[in-house]
Amino acid sequence: MGTLIKQEIYKLTHKKGTWFAIGLMILVQVAFALMQHSNPKLYGLESLVNNDYLGGGIYLFIMIASAASIIAMEFQYGTIKQLLYRQYYRSQIFISKLIVLFMQLVVLQVIASLVSFMLTAIFSPNFDWMQKVGSNTFLHQYLVGILGNGLVNCLLLSVVILIATLLKTNAAAITSGFIGYFVSMAASGIILVLINKWHWLRFNPFTMLMTSSQLLTPSMSKVTLMSTPLMVSLTIGYAVLFTVIAYLSFRKRHV
Amino acid sequence: MSNLLSVQQLDIAFGKHQVLHQVSFDVAAGHIVALVGPNGAGKSTIMKAVLGLISIDHGHLTIDSHPVSMTSHEALKQVGALIEYPGIYPFLTGRQHLELFADKENREANIEQVIKALHMTDYIDHKAKLYSLGMKQKLGIAQALVDRPKLVILDEPMNGLDPEAVKQLRDYIRQLASEGTSFLISSHILSELEKLADDVLFLDQGHIIRQTSMAELVTSGGTSYHITTADDADAKSRLIALGLPVLTDDTDPEKIILLQKTPQTLNQALHTLLTANIEIVDIVKVQHDLEESFLDMVNHQQEVK
Ligand SMILES: Nc1ncnc2c1ncn2[C@@H]1O[C@H](COP(=O)(O)OP(=O)(O)OP(=O)(O)O)[C@@H](O)[C@H]1O
Ligand SMILES: [Mg+2]
Repeated sequence: MGTLIKQEIYKLTHKKGTWFAIGLMILVQVAFALMQHSNPKLYGLESLVNNDYLGGGIYLFIMIASAASIIAMEFQYGTIKQLLYRQYYRSQIFISKLIVLFMQLVVLQVIASLVSFMLTAIFSPNFDWMQKVGSNTFLHQYLVGILGNGLVNCLLLSVVILIATLLKTNAAAITSGFIGYFVSMAASGIILVLINKWHWLRFNPFTMLMTSSQLLTPSMSKVTLMSTPLMVSLTIGYAVLFTVIAYLSFRKRHV
Repeated sequence: MSNLLSVQQLDIAFGKHQVLHQVSFDVAAGHIVALVGPNGAGKSTIMKAVLGLISIDHGHLTIDSHPVSMTSHEALKQVGALIEYPGIYPFLTGRQHLELFADKENREANIEQVIKALHMTDYIDHKAKLYSLGMKQKLGIAQALVDRPKLVILDEPMNGLDPEAVKQLRDYIRQLASEGTSFLISSHILSELEKLADDVLFLDQGHIIRQTSMAELVTSGGTSYHITTADDADAKSRLIALGLPVLTDDTDPEKIILLQKTPQTLNQALHTLLTANIEIVDIVKVQHDLEESFLDMVNHQQEVK
C-alpha cells in the first residue's frame, strides 16, 4: 500500500499541470489582494479573506480535474493493465488513489490558507482575526468554513470519481463536476423552495451541497429542515456511497 | 514443480461469445513458449486471464503452484507483462517509467541493465510523448523486464520494432531464459518466434490445435506428403488409427495430407498401407516454409494430434 501511494504521488508530482495549477491559484490570490489594496471599496475584506482571496474556488476546480483524471487517465493512457496486473488487490489500488487525492486536497487548502494569512498580514496588517462575528471570532468562522467546504468538496469529488470510473474518460467527469458545482451554486434557492413544498426532498444529495453554509449559519436549519449534525452525517454518507459505487464498478471492470 | 505457469481447462466467454475452449498448457521454468494464432484467436485473452485481469468461467491457473484469479494476485509478484500495447504516461520520461514500477531492490542497476540491453540510452531521458511507435514498444517491454521477474508475458512484442531491434530483443530474451526466466510470447507470425521459442502452442478460435516443440516443428513442419491411393478413405482411416499426423482439407475430405513429424513418418505410413494391401498411386512431397505450415495448420482441421 505504501508503494502504491508513493507511485501515485510520483505521477502527480511529475505532472506539470499540478504545479501550474498551484501557481495559478497563488497568482489569483495575489491579484485579488492587490485589487483590494488599490481599491478597498471593490470587495469587502472580510468576505475576501473568508474565501481565501478566491483561492478556495480555484482549488476546487483543481481538485475536480485531479479527481476526474486520477482513474480515467489510466484508461486513457492504456496504463490500467500495468497498474492492475501486479500483486496488489484492486481495492488497494483504488484506495491509494483516494488517499493521494485527499492529501492533495489538504495540501492545497493549507497553501491557500497560508497565502491568505500572508497576504492579509502584508496588505492589511491591522486586520483583526479575533473580531467578533455573531457570537464567535472571525478566525473561528474561517476555520469552520474550511471544514464545511472540505466536506462539500468531498461530496462533489465523489460524484466526479464515480462518473470518471463509469465512463472511463476524464472530460465527461470534469464537465459534470463543473456543472454540478455551478448548478449547486445557482440552484440552492430553487432546492429550498422545493423542500418547502415536498419535505421528503430535503434528503436529496443536492441539499448537502449547502452543508457548509449551514455550518456557518446554523439558522439555515429552518429552511433545510435538517439539524446540522444530520446534514453533516448525510453529506459524509452520500460521499461514501458514491465512492463505494465507483469502487464496485472499478473492481468488476475487465481491462 | 518445474512448471512455472500452469493453465488447466480454461474456458472464457464474453457474454454469449465463447472465446476460449478448454485451453490447457504449461510453461516450464526457463522455457520460452510461443503462443501463435491468427487475429482474434484468443491470445491476448489467455494472457489477461493469467494476469488476473479478467474473470474466467472455468479452469485453473497457477503460477509457481499459487492460484491466480481476478481476486488473488499474490503470485503475480513474480510476473512482468506487456499486453496488447504499451501504456505510456506522456508526461514522464522513459527512465521515470522504469523508476515508477521498479522494485527497490537493485533498482538503479536493473534499470541501467535493461536500458542497455534494449539500446534505449539515446532517448531514455526524453519525455515519452515524443517517442515513436517502436520506442514506446521497447519501453513497454523494458517495464515488463526491469524487475527480473520469474515469468515474463509478452503480447506481440515485436510490433513496431525494426529488424535490428528485433534481434537485440531476441538476444536479450534468450539470455534471460538461459538464466532461468520463463517466457510466454504471442505472435501471429510464426517465423518471428522460430529462432526464439522452445515450445509452440497453436491457437485457433479459442482451441489449442497443436502443441509441439520448436525443434520438432522445424524438422517436420516444413514437409508434408500428399498421398493418393486406390482407396483413400480406407487408407486414411488406417493412418489415423496408427496415430500418424494426417490433416484434412475441407474442400476434399478424403485427400491424405501427411505431416512429417519425424524422419520416419513417411516410412511408417507406407509400411502400413503396403501391409494392408492398399495400392499407392502417387506421392507428392510438399516443402513449405514455416509460415505456410502454420497457415495450413489453421486452414486444415486437424484430425489427429
Ligand atoms: N472485452 C471483450 N468483450 C467482448 N469480446 C472480446 C473482448 N475481448 C476480446 N474479445 C473477443 O475475444 C476474441 C479473442 O480476442 P483476443 O484479443 O484474445 O484475440 P488475439 O488472439 O489476441 O488477436 P490479435 O492477434 O488480433 O491480437 C475475439 O473474437 C474478440 O472479439
Ligand atoms: Mg491480441
